[in-house]
Amino acid sequence: MNVRFVAVRLLQVVPTMLAILIISFILIHLAPGDPVLTLAGEHGDAAYYAFMRQRFGLDQSIPQQLVTYLERVVRGDLGFSYVYGRGTLRVIMERVPATLLLMGTALIISILIAIPAGAVAASRPHGARDVGISAIALGLYSTPAFWVGQLAILGFSLQLGLFPVQGMTSAGSAATGWLHAWDVARHLALPAMVLASQEIAVVVRITRSTLLDELPRDHIRTARAKGLSDVRVLMRHALPRALLPVVTLLGARVGHLIAGAAVVEIIFGWPGMGRLLLASLQSRDTPILLGLFLVVSFTVVLANLLSDLVYAAIDPRIRVR
Amino acid sequence: MYHLDGLRRGAASLGFLFLVSVGCAHERTGRDASILVAAISSDPGQLNSAITTNGGVHTAASLLYDGLVALDDSLRPTPALAERWEVEDGGARYRFHLRRGVRWHDGTPFSARDVKYTFDELLMRYHARTRASMAAALTSVDAPDDSTVVFTFRRPYAPLLQQLDVSEAPILPAHLYAGSDPLRNPVNIAPVGTGPYRFASYTPHSEIRYTANREYFRGAPTLGTVVLRVIPDNETQVAALEAGEVDWLYAVPAAARARLAADARVHVTHSNLSLGGSNCITTLGFNLDRPHFRDVRVRKAIAHAVNRPQFVERVLFGDGRAADAPISSAIGFAHARDLPIPAYDTVEAARLLEAAGWRRNGGVTRTATGVQGVTDGTTFTIGFKGMPTQMVYGDLLRAQLRRVGIDLQLEPLESAVFAASVFTARDFDTAIGAYCNGTDPEIGVRRMYASSSVAPVPFSNMAGYRNPIMDALFDSAGAALDVNERRRLYRHIQEIAVRDQPYVWLVETRNTQAYSARCRGFSGVAHFAATAECTR
Repeated sequence: MNVRFVAVRLLQVVPTMLAILIISFILIHLAPGDPVLTLAGEHGDAAYYAFMRQRFGLDQSIPQQLVTYLERVVRGDLGFSYVYGRGTLRVIMERVPATLLLMGTALIISILIAIPAGAVAASRPHGARDVGISAIALGLYSTPAFWVGQLAILGFSLQLGLFPVQGMTSAGSAATGWLHAWDVARHLALPAMVLASQEIAVVVRITRSTLLDELPRDHIRTARAKGLSDVRVLMRHALPRALLPVVTLLGARVGHLIAGAAVVEIIFGWPGMGRLLLASLQSRDTPILLGLFLVVSFTVVLANLLSDLVYAAIDPRIRVR
Repeated sequence: MYHLDGLRRGAASLGFLFLVSVGCAHERTGRDASILVAAISSDPGQLNSAITTNGGVHTAASLLYDGLVALDDSLRPTPALAERWEVEDGGARYRFHLRRGVRWHDGTPFSARDVKYTFDELLMRYHARTRASMAAALTSVDAPDDSTVVFTFRRPYAPLLQQLDVSEAPILPAHLYAGSDPLRNPVNIAPVGTGPYRFASYTPHSEIRYTANREYFRGAPTLGTVVLRVIPDNETQVAALEAGEVDWLYAVPAAARARLAADARVHVTHSNLSLGGSNCITTLGFNLDRPHFRDVRVRKAIAHAVNRPQFVERVLFGDGRAADAPISSAIGFAHARDLPIPAYDTVEAARLLEAAGWRRNGGVTRTATGVQGVTDGTTFTIGFKGMPTQMVYGDLLRAQLRRVGIDLQLEPLESAVFAASVFTARDFDTAIGAYCNGTDPEIGVRRMYASSSVAPVPFSNMAGYRNPIMDALFDSAGAALDVNERRRLYRHIQEIAVRDQPYVWLVETRNTQAYSARCRGFSGVAHFAATAECTR
């Protein structure tokens, strides 16, 4: 993998981010709703609003505000949140680990379940297992996460008492070290599985269909003729090639995963970025919103870059270029 | 056929891992009896309730602070940081004698200087509600000595004592705020107060932890720790209470009340007070600038077409009452009884609409004939704006108005957009809002009727109602000190409001709290945990 490839791709990130920042700045300001009105609530008067506008620099023209904002961003300052009264970057960074943990776990669960399930389904197309797996995948894909989430709470938490209903740790817990990790894992299980359920559906279907394309090919027949076991043929010869589109897909799914995480975070009270995004949207906390767009789009761009690199690693044909 | 032993083995070990984790997870949250967990809906962001009217901040911060006075269940002022007070100069001066020996959570003695600082630099600048109602009348807050505070007003000011409790005027420590930018002071997320609980820790979007203030001047709390847990989804809050993860819910969604009331592990209680605003009346407002609503007969007709008991039954699930006056029945001295509020009567509604020129020419929806400002033949189709949570009212209202030939088009708007479109742009026909009357009509009623409140301020004079007589009556009622005189003036105000019908007052909502049966002794809402105790 050459360094230039990575460097060029990283450089491309800068104009993308700038464009995203400017467009979202304009979009936020075009949308109706005034941060000062939501901040001051229903009991202010005109003098109060004028005072607060001036306090937050909202009395300036929008182009002026945009210029001031971009100047600050270049210096690495994302501004102060209206609601939190603290630096935007700090507020966002407090939430990032929770969301990454949730997304990462969901991604791993979905890969661990979906790729084998897709392989099983493809091993005998239209057989009972394939029909069963495909039906479940289709079902999961067409069910909204908020509903699956509520059902999971009712079933697994309230009826069976297997998992906690909400949060990332037990309320008031003073656990540290491994006990703390265990506490978090217990709380993580249900939201991660609900978030994974959507991904599982997509990955199962794509794994199955690419494997079906792969299995009738000549090199598979050759491998089988050499006397290799079915599992070895599948794992060594069919799956690696079939995984290429899956890797691309996973990179592209990171955006969806973040969106899905927002819903799951709200249902399970998981303290991540998705909830911050929704709350900031409602309160028109512009600095936080812009900061989040920046972080999220950076993550998506990075994920795509990463999937390109993994792609290159799996497929020697791409490596040279 | 493929033999997928490897895969099967993998799947089996995954399943095993799952079972192990589940097996170990099956331990109930056996909590310490001295810990109480309460659910809150949003991360307050910061805990300085003197610089905001945000309900979330007030809910989370109220355990930490005190006001000069507290309000009892009948909204009467009782001593808190102030031990006693005198009203002088015909109500234009109030002298408060502060309780001695009170200390801030960090050990610094509390003094009159803190009160003066809090009013001058925090409340009168940043607390929108207290500033809007008091600033115009207030001349100065003085601290002649460490234990005396004097409020001087330009004219007699009646509602002061109702505005000094912990939600309208929490007192903050001057020694930690003086000279700083209060909006960005780091003390806002590591607060110091005088209240029954002291701040212990804050985990963003997760929980805030408090420990008992053993030196609390009204007696140490029984509970050792209170945890406010951030759970944004209402249904999840209820599930967490049922699962025993949470012990107290500040507000129970209407649809879950019956289920919780039937649950032996849970107790349900009611209060008109809530920290976001108390004594609320869900109100339909007419945009009086629109030609459809200039004729009072049309407004009366709609009031007659509205079946208020049905709202209590189907929207509130019985938890509330049909509004029978413009002022909440919870403000006993001001609420007028036996007003001629239009009763549910679709025949009368139809008669009034016919008389106003809205005819039913065979169709379902009425059309205009000779209505001033409306082209003949225009159908009676009007918009209805509200926040998404209020659309349940819209659905029922739409059905009720269709019976008298009015077509209501529902437009749910997110709160920031609702405020902008209804109060700033005034671009609406009808809109709905929960008008919280507060503890005195000066706080939450005047803004609905005063000409000066027709302003781009959320939940101000939505109708755009202007009446100089009404303005004068509110001025007199705000300045009158004698409660009987105020009662008389507010009755007069309500009679005019009913006559002019700029609004239809639908229902008085009631706040329902629910708590774990292992706990008892909750008091009010602000310091709800101060007197509570729990068993294991």
